[in-house]
Amino acid sequence: MGFYILSYLCIFVFILATASLLYRQLTLPVHVRWELYPIQHERGARAAYGGSYLEELNWWEKKQEKSLFNEFRYMLPEILFLRGLWKENRMLWWVSFPFHFGLYLMIATFGLLLLHALVILRSDDPAASSGIVQSLLDGLIVITGWTGLILGSIGGLGLLYRRMTDPELHNYSSVSDYFNLLFFLLFFLSGLVSLVGDPLLEGAKGYAFGLMTGGLPLNGYAPGQSLSGGAAIVSVSLLAAYIPLTHMSHMFMKYFLYHNVKWDDAPNRRGGRIEAAVMENLKLKPTWQAKHIETDGRKSWSELASSSPKEMK
Amino acid sequence: MSNIMTPSGLAKPSECLCHIEPGDLSPLPAPYEDFNQVTIPPLNPDKVKHLETSLDDTIAIGIPKPANKEEEEALVLRFLTGLKKLFEKENNWTFLQPLMLSLEHCAKCQTCSNACPVFEMSGRKDIHRPMFRAEVLRRIYNKYLKRGGKITAKFTGDIDLNWTTIARLAELSYRCTLCRRCATVCPIGVDNGLINHEIRKLFSQETGIAPKEIHDKGTVQHLRVGSSTGMNPLAAKDSIEFIQEEMKEITGYKVEIPWDMEGAEILLLHNAGEMLAWPENIGAFAIIFQAAGLSWTLSSEAAGYDAVNYGLWYDDVQFSRVAVKHADIARRLKVKKIVMGECGHAHKALTVIADRLLTGELNVPRESALVTLEEIVLRGKLQFDPRKNDFPVTLHDPCNVVRAMGIVEPQRRILRKIAPRFREMTPHGVENYCCGGGSGFAIMSGYNFSQWRNLVSSRKKFLQILSAFEGEPREVPKYVCAPCSNCKGAIRDIINYYHAEERSGLYYGGLVELIVNAMAGMKKPIIRFGDEPSWAS
Repeated sequence: MGFYILSYLCIFVFILATASLLYRQLTLPVHVRWELYPIQHERGARAAYGGSYLEELNWWEKKQEKSLFNEFRYMLPEILFLRGLWKENRMLWWVSFPFHFGLYLMIATFGLLLLHALVILRSDDPAASSGIVQSLLDGLIVITGWTGLILGSIGGLGLLYRRMTDPELHNYSSVSDYFNLLFFLLFFLSGLVSLVGDPLLEGAKGYAFGLMTGGLPLNGYAPGQSLSGGAAIVSVSLLAAYIPLTHMSHMFMKYFLYHNVKWDDAPNRRGGRIEAAVMENLKLKPTWQAKHIETDGRKSWSELASSSPKEMK
Repeated sequence: MSNIMTPSGLAKPSECLCHIEPGDLSPLPAPYEDFNQVTIPPLNPDKVKHLETSLDDTIAIGIPKPANKEEEEALVLRFLTGLKKLFEKENNWTFLQPLMLSLEHCAKCQTCSNACPVFEMSGRKDIHRPMFRAEVLRRIYNKYLKRGGKITAKFTGDIDLNWTTIARLAELSYRCTLCRRCATVCPIGVDNGLINHEIRKLFSQETGIAPKEIHDKGTVQHLRVGSSTGMNPLAAKDSIEFIQEEMKEITGYKVEIPWDMEGAEILLLHNAGEMLAWPENIGAFAIIFQAAGLSWTLSSEAAGYDAVNYGLWYDDVQFSRVAVKHADIARRLKVKKIVMGECGHAHKALTVIADRLLTGELNVPRESALVTLEEIVLRGKLQFDPRKNDFPVTLHDPCNVVRAMGIVEPQRRILRKIAPRFREMTPHGVENYCCGGGSGFAIMSGYNFSQWRNLVSSRKKFLQILSAFEGEPREVPKYVCAPCSNCKGAIRDIINYYHAEERSGLYYGGLVELIVNAMAGMKKPIIRFGDEPSWAS
């Protein structure tokens, strides 16, 4: 039961930390525009060459049209295959891609395991032999599990090797950078070792079933029967809690980096939502201390912006 | 001297952390090999004996050395207070979210380094990596402002904080042109250019540290006198009168430049530096707008005849003051739109960055002159004879217009129509390289900074220009079209520094000059190559 309690706690931390990260982003004030082209929601050829609606005469008289299709067309290979890294840093891609894709496959495997547990729970006799859906899930779990762990291990080892031997990476790496990689490797490698004795991932299925049911055993499974299996459960649980507390949350925070900054080209229109937010911001009272700012914390941004400094040096 | 320098090394004692030796810089091709052993001339010891000079071979700011321990500690304390303010919405709502996202999610993969022309051209010196200064700031923030930071620093990356670290960091923030090429290649979307911008802001807004060219002589003078050039409204009007006469003499075209016309459709904002350095650019605009029958005006009000906004590079408060002045002048003139002349940073400042600052009636629509000009040239409002521009032309893409605004094709469509020998640089468009004069560098020339710019930050652009004209005979005049005042300044300086007019036949200018040069019916050419007219009248 200790394994399950650890996993529940870690999932709870993951949810809490992720929610806190998202909440913080969603409640930050509207900032000034700082977009960078190409912006992929532009329509037609502009998305390719990096053009914008600002290329149009009297652009403010026109409705800004965005292409969700162009955005997906760009983001899908970017997320799945790390297209940017392939283009700009090929040497690193060879190790970073297997690592990330392995991770995606492990997330997919976890989803499939939960689905598998759900299917069993909905069937009349959990111990009975599988139907077509269950068989399909069995097959997919084996494929994604094995591939994910192999790719993740190769990528993790490759990244570790690169970080240790390439001065460009080594000189800028902290203890935490190595720790993070070793942490992932512990999971990938222990998972891989446990698969050698359990190639059909029956243990993982049993653990997922236990997670869904508060620890009920499936086909006599109990977590921690093998050292490697136990290590995989502990490491993946702790990883789930750890990721949102570190820069590795870029896995999902990348959404904000792109949509709220790099691609945020929404113009401020009179009477619109952005204008209202800006007007609120302009009421804020900064406390910057340089002489030319000329504030004592009582002047708002709006007052400062419409003033001229007396201090001329 | 070793190239290897880790972020924690910024705090280490040294007389010069990063010195460029002969042969370190990226090599130049023939006939410029004689520059390959050239290094930055040493600073005059007498002039800099009281200044902090230990970062590298140049200085951009010139921070006075502290007189005593108290002064040292005061700066450290003030820096930390300012750093804290960068993460408060009252003080930094303008960039809070972008800063937090970029500071918290870097994977230190170094993809950004290969995209940076300063890093590449410097001979890959570590201090010029885009993430170097970002990592310094990250470590200081994590260690000195986060709870338990002094313990976790051993785990997440350590750095000592002393007066020298801070003074060097301030200097280092003026070795990046803010071209943001690094941000376009980051797989995560981290923007180290932005972090550099925030470092500059911290220094200016909290400690009052900024290069005099962009603060004292820049925004302060702009707000006080009316222009960062020092021209007051009377002087500006005199300049324009002179330009009208010049245009008549040079091109034979009589132009009337309208001032302060209330209710005009367009308020045209020029970089006032054009009036002094490139008056033909202002004149060419006037010829085109007049010939096309546009309703337009200039403003003679202080700040209204100078589109620049140096605050964009280092100070949000100064930025806001200048932007509000520009918008308010347009509002009072009751124009339908502001058209930004050929000045890249002014484009971005007023059109994009100030967009979420100007509300209500101050939110006067803004448009790039490149778009206005495209309408004139391509819609048949004027007649052209492209054969008049029968010389090789290449186009420099100002980062602020292209990468930061997505205005890529209008200028190209114009050139394809009026310049038959137009060719692109490689790479171009949103992947362009900075002229090396971005973020204020083009106007900064104190001590030996202009030599650093010519040798390091503008070097990539020089190589690109040479490459664009490869195969053209030396004696053929070649035109680098740079529709941005700062870029033009930087390109002028590299042409002069490397004697590229004599050695490669390089000339430079704006886009409007090319347009006027190709206009049918003009009696004389506006473009001259040295003493030679570009076409026979």
